[in-house]
Amino acid sequence: MLRSYLPILIQIILASLIGFGILGLSYLVGKHKPTPEKLMPYESGVRPTGSAHERFAVKFYLTAMLFILFDVEVIFLYPWAVIYRELRFFGFFEMLTFILVVLAGYVYIWKKGALDWNKN
Amino acid sequence: MTLPQVPILPILPELILTLFGIAVMLFDPFTAKPHKSWLSSLAFIGVLAALAGNVLLLAAEGEYYNGMIIVDSFSVFFNFLFLIIAGLSILASRQYLVREGVNHSEYYGLLLFATVGMCFMGGANELIMIFIGLEITSISTYVLAGFRRTDLKSNEAAIKYFLLGSFATAFLLYGIALMYGATHTTHLSQISSALLTGRIDLRLVLAGTALMMVGFSFKVATAPFQIWTPDVYEGAPIPVTGWMSVGPKAAGFAAFLRVFFVALPALDQKWFWVLWVSSVLTMTIGNTAAMLQSNIKRMLAYSSIAHAGYILVAFAALTPNGIASIMFYLLAYSVMNLGAFAVISAWSLSGERRVTIDEFAGLGYRQPWLAAAFTVFLLGLTGIPLTAGFTGKFFMFRAAINSKLYWLTIIALLNSAASLYYYLRPTIAMYMREPGESGRTSAPQDSAPLQISMATKVVIAVSVLAVFYLGLFPSTILDFAQSSAFLVH
Amino acid sequence: MEFIDSHILTILILMPVAGAMFLALLDPGKHEAIRRTALVVALLTFVFSLHLVIHFVPHEAGFQFEENSPWVPAFGMNYHLGIDGISLWLVLLTTFLTSVSVLASWKGIEKRVKEFFIFILLLEAGMVGVFASLDLFLFYVFWEVMLVPMYFLIGIWGHGRRIYAAVKFIIYTAVGSAFMLVAILSLYFLNAHATGAPTFDFTTILDNIVNGRLVIEPRIQVWLFLAFFLSFAIKVPLFPLHTWLPDAHTEAPTAGSVLLAGVLLKMGTYGLLRFNIQLFPDATQTFTPLIVALAIIGIIYGALVAMVQPDLKRLVAYSSVSHLGFVVLGIFVFNIQGVEGAVYQMLNHGISTGALFLIVGMIYERRHTREISEFGGLATPMPVLATIFLIITLSSIGLPLLNGFVGEFLILVGTFGAAVARAKLYCTLAASGVILGAVYMLWMYQRVIFGEVTHDVNKTLPDLSAREKWVLVPMVVMALWMGIYPQFFLRKMDASVSKLLNAPRVMMVRK
Repeated sequence: MLRSYLPILIQIILASLIGFGILGLSYLVGKHKPTPEKLMPYESGVRPTGSAHERFAVKFYLTAMLFILFDVEVIFLYPWAVIYRELRFFGFFEMLTFILVVLAGYVYIWKKGALDWNKN
Repeated sequence: MTLPQVPILPILPELILTLFGIAVMLFDPFTAKPHKSWLSSLAFIGVLAALAGNVLLLAAEGEYYNGMIIVDSFSVFFNFLFLIIAGLSILASRQYLVREGVNHSEYYGLLLFATVGMCFMGGANELIMIFIGLEITSISTYVLAGFRRTDLKSNEAAIKYFLLGSFATAFLLYGIALMYGATHTTHLSQISSALLTGRIDLRLVLAGTALMMVGFSFKVATAPFQIWTPDVYEGAPIPVTGWMSVGPKAAGFAAFLRVFFVALPALDQKWFWVLWVSSVLTMTIGNTAAMLQSNIKRMLAYSSIAHAGYILVAFAALTPNGIASIMFYLLAYSVMNLGAFAVISAWSLSGERRVTIDEFAGLGYRQPWLAAAFTVFLLGLTGIPLTAGFTGKFFMFRAAINSKLYWLTIIALLNSAASLYYYLRPTIAMYMREPGESGRTSAPQDSAPLQISMATKVVIAVSVLAVFYLGLFPSTILDFAQSSAFLVH
Repeated sequence: MEFIDSHILTILILMPVAGAMFLALLDPGKHEAIRRTALVVALLTFVFSLHLVIHFVPHEAGFQFEENSPWVPAFGMNYHLGIDGISLWLVLLTTFLTSVSVLASWKGIEKRVKEFFIFILLLEAGMVGVFASLDLFLFYVFWEVMLVPMYFLIGIWGHGRRIYAAVKFIIYTAVGSAFMLVAILSLYFLNAHATGAPTFDFTTILDNIVNGRLVIEPRIQVWLFLAFFLSFAIKVPLFPLHTWLPDAHTEAPTAGSVLLAGVLLKMGTYGLLRFNIQLFPDATQTFTPLIVALAIIGIIYGALVAMVQPDLKRLVAYSSVSHLGFVVLGIFVFNIQGVEGAVYQMLNHGISTGALFLIVGMIYERRHTREISEFGGLATPMPVLATIFLIITLSSIGLPLLNGFVGEFLILVGTFGAAVARAKLYCTLAASGVILGAVYMLWMYQRVIFGEVTHDVNKTLPDLSAREKWVLVPMVVMALWMGIYPQFFLRKMDASVSKLLNAPRVMMVRK
């Protein structure tokens, strides 16, 4: 039974080999001449001030979470699209229901002002 | 190709609740603040509709969706129970939410969604489905526990419940995985038959059983997994505490019973002793700790641990009578506890002040009916005859004696007698002390006449009637529970 | 009439409940109306209970006025009521003392008047229920539920350490009944396994035991007996389980003490007589020596402790321990004199100790103290009270022609002729209890009533009011009636007591 997972194992090994291999190679082969400018977060940018541990407005998290939520929901459209022809009208209405639920959530967050960046 | 026939009847209550939950959430932003209370009415109507739907379920017994969902009188009974709990909780919360300034309709939405999860737990015939139901319930509950966002204790309750609850769910999930690994199925009855073949790895099954037990024990708050209860119950808003102490607990027991009696009867001699020990610990710890509390919510939290212990006594009887008595008791306990919390909520002041036992001083004469109702609930919880608590306990202990669990029953009864000590403390404060006698001087605005809303009054009146009905005429409900219990067993 | 005939016991239980419900609806401020309503309800219940005496058939040994309807048929629980010659008098004692208590609480209860009478009436319903139940489950229900009104009576209207006393009372008794519940359930399953018909019905189970359909192994009988016994012995209270009693009696309001001593304690002895002896004859045989010894210790210990009490009410409370020791002794000598004497002594104790508590309550209402040393020479300001007090004191110590004599005499005769080892010794020891009783009662009476008036405040104490006379005179009448014409009472209990003693299994114990 486990045999069927072998290709996945091989893929994991190959992927890690290639990833770590490239990083390792560049470390081994490349030249290292660090200067303060090179070590700055943005080499040609503005000189950074203050601590990196800054407080973010919670709005960022909210936006990010909402994005992920809807993004994940949209992903369901892909498998549905693939077998759309087979499902016919049943599939159409099923997806319509699904979209309606998603839409309800969308209307909810919209009216709640979650998308309103300048609120408060 | 033809359209697949998808029956919606088997999950009709859940569907109705979901639709109403979505509707409540959706209408909230469109409703001006002063009119928000109609949304709680909407949620209540949803519960009534789901109750009606549940009646239809009685005629649709059978397994559905590849056996994931089962409709039998066991699940129908629990659906009724969850819906009654939800309905009473909605009514009991109205005044409280307005008073505390957190009258957001999401509260009702979450309550309905949690009830959906609970209904799934009662009707699940398969481990994954149970897990999904549990998660739906738990996630809603985490939010509800922290519903008073600006209050630190409420926050603490939510975070604590979330962290420990997730941990427990992980145990449950791991147990399910091991069980699947050993038996190649998650269907309860198929697990049972797989165990009977004897061609399975018993070590895996036992490990899975133990882990699932941990998960369920956490959800129903039995020792040694009860530690979270007092803090969470104390911090959560009063109506949420009342709801949590009965709803998710009952749902946990529903799933607990079904999994262990349907899937794992072959191992009952192995898990019997775990139940026995856990029962003794749960009762004793709960009662002992409850005696030391001064905050009434905390006291009822510990006492709810003790009640889970009594339920385990009947669980350990391993008979259909035991299951039936648990079902009866869960109903009895629910009405008593919801009623008690409704009284606490009515008597407390905004900001959840006036919730220590001493501060009930004089209630007996300022609000005689409220105090009388509270006394009825407390006596019921103690198990004084003519109340639901007595008949419930009596049936459970009867089942235990029938299985020759003499010592366990005696320990339970002594615990019950000891519980008088703390259940009577509010009555001492209410009737035997004058206000201010405890040394506290209450602020003048605190002695303003109580305004108790109609909804709260209805909850209290219905609970009192139910306590007496179940105490005086238990036959109807008991017979129904008995017929269901045989199906599960 | 037909309806009353067939439902008299239910009426006796429900009438006080209905009265209490009606009281609950009254305006709490209208004290006089509340008191009158309560008195009317109590008297009406008493009048209805007279129906029992009039229509009771004396030579019928079985249960009369029976009512039986299923309650929870699935588990064999029935609403089964009925009384025999023993419980008849206890029911009457209950309704009588309740009426007296209501009248006695007219002045003493000033706060929460409405609640007080509600609890008194609920208590009455529970007490009647205990004596009338013929179903073990129903019996347990009444047994437990009756604790609640008593708890509130002590806790709200009591004196001094009332809360401590109330909690101690309820927890003590609840622990006892926990064991009884286990025993009831075990008996139920034993019977169900033996006969295949699950039932909590006492008469059915008893029949099965008598006819040998249900045979309980002696080893199991011992446990069941002990479980029932513990619960009843706490209630009696039998030495050494009596420690709740002085607190509860002393701190309770007068009406509470009267009902507690007058009726509640009898439930324990009634339970021993009705359940322990008949259901578990083998175990009864095993434990009889122990129980007799405890009863005698109780008689002497109670008397000795009563002698040194400085507090009037505590003295009366400890005298109860002594008197109830007599009752238990009478039950466990297993002959007709002993058992009839025990039942008679239950009634006597209800009358005389009830009256003593009433008198102490009246004195307390005047002086707000119960210290014996605070009194002396009360005969001068209160001659009527002194007279009645004397009659009751003499009745309590068992002077011939008064009720106490009949009971104690029968018990002592029964003990003397008992078929147990060292019966004569027991009899002698118990008789010494009578002497001690005379000592502490008369000494107390002398210190309170005779002599010079030692405290000036006592000089102006008012004598009994008309209402108080109405309270005490019926008690005195009863004391005299029961002392002069005991046959009136004994005749009705003869058949039941003989039946109890002549049951084949109990006969075996008697040998």
